[in-house]
Amino acid sequence: MTDIRVDSVSKRYGKHVVLDDINFRIKSGEVVAIIGPSGSGKSTLLRCINYLEPPNSGIIAVGDLQMDCEARPANTDLDRLRRTVGMVFQSFNLFPHLTVLRNVSLAQERVLKRPRKEADERSMELLRRVGLADKSEQYPSRCSGGQQQRIAIARALALDPKAMLFDEPTSALDPELGLEVLTVMRELAETGMTMIVVTHEMRFAENVSDRVIVMADGRIIEHGESAAIMRSPQTARTQQFLHAVRDR
Amino acid sequence: MAGNFWSILAGVPLTIALTFLAFAVGAIFGFPIWMMRMAKTRPVRLTATGFILAFRSIPPIVWLFLIFFGVGSGDISLSPFISAVIGMGLITAANMAEIYRGAYAGLDIGQTEAATALGIRTYHRFRDVIVPQMLRTALPSAVTFAIGLLKDTSIASLIGVQEVAFQVNALAQRTFTGFDIYVIAALIYVAISLPFAVIARWADLTLRLRVAR
Ligand SMILES: Nc1ncnc2c1ncn2[C@@H]1O[C@H](COP(=O)(O)OP(=O)(O)O)[C@@H](O)[C@H]1O
Ligand SMILES: [Mg+2]
Repeated sequence: MTDIRVDSVSKRYGKHVVLDDINFRIKSGEVVAIIGPSGSGKSTLLRCINYLEPPNSGIIAVGDLQMDCEARPANTDLDRLRRTVGMVFQSFNLFPHLTVLRNVSLAQERVLKRPRKEADERSMELLRRVGLADKSEQYPSRCSGGQQQRIAIARALALDPKAMLFDEPTSALDPELGLEVLTVMRELAETGMTMIVVTHEMRFAENVSDRVIVMADGRIIEHGESAAIMRSPQTARTQQFLHAVRDR
Repeated sequence: MAGNFWSILAGVPLTIALTFLAFAVGAIFGFPIWMMRMAKTRPVRLTATGFILAFRSIPPIVWLFLIFFGVGSGDISLSPFISAVIGMGLITAANMAEIYRGAYAGLDIGQTEAATALGIRTYHRFRDVIVPQMLRTALPSAVTFAIGLLKDTSIASLIGVQEVAFQVNALAQRTFTGFDIYVIAALIYVAISLPFAVIARWADLTLRLRVAR
């Protein structure tokens, strides 16, 4: 079971408090959407969960791996954390000098120490799953944004993570291209993957995610079952935010 | 005239060898210097900064004299050619370190983050993700530097390396001619740098197509 537990996590940049005592738990297989205005700390929260940004205090636990944020993280723990938790970025961040196939294979070879042939086979499997097997020998620059993001998802899945973090995966995409990415994500959710998704796609938040966390100014201002939050938000701040997003 | 041409041409292998070796030394040693330049520990960083400053601001001729007459006249004896390779190589290293630094700074931080998030540790992150992309960005500046280096190797004639400039000077003194043979020398330098530039331009374009998003 790979539950995720975020306990009293805080993060500062200098004096600027970006995350202020964040607490939540996610059960294995749950899909949680994080919404909130820009600058509220959503990206920072995701980046803290996989230690791309080490938090200043609190505890991050993924499965039986527990990171005490005040201690210096052990390399073996960081390796385990990143193998357990995959991440997908808004700007895809594919490796432009490698073919699509090599993008997906690289971490398998370097992290899991899989032989190249085996890694490439697994990569093909994943590329088929995101519908891009025919692109395997192309370079990422030859793929559309939607295709690049699906490749990025395949790349993150290549380490067989137990949970996936998505930071606004469709924000850089046209609506149609965003849709193909959301479809892949929905399929992933149906396989029982634990997912935390920062998104402005309210339909995804409402229909695919089990729960929604609303952030503002580095805090969680609302947290609950998706349908409830989307239909009857409790705080004025959430109501205001939902209005603004829906009016776009 | 034809005889003059051939005697100048005799210097070409040394000019090319010196350029090539100095560039190889510099391209390789530029790496550790660049890394030291980025190190977290201050003394390490300052050492690299000092090295870069010294080798970029003191003229090549001074370094060649220092190495050939200074180091080379002590217990270890250095031939003019080896002295020139070391001197020009270290100057190249200092410049390449700066070129690498610029290429690294130009890299999208998202590349490092993606590799880190995939659990790829520092060594492989650099080897498989960062350095290959850096080399591509560094290529144009590196070629510009290499062509400059080719010209600068003429300074090695002053410590007795018998490359193109050396041959021209010797010939000028032997025959009391000037203009013609220097024109020949000029054309030889152009002829050597031209293929460099063409290949580099071709490589740059093909590589850029891939790296471009
Ligand atoms: N590396 C950084 N250095 C300083 N401030 C940062 C850094 N990263 C983010 N911030 C600040 O933290 C706040 C939250 O940013 P972020 O987590 O990106 O918000 P969101 O993803 O919700 O838009 C912002 O005010 C931003 O300016
Ligand atoms: Mg963000």
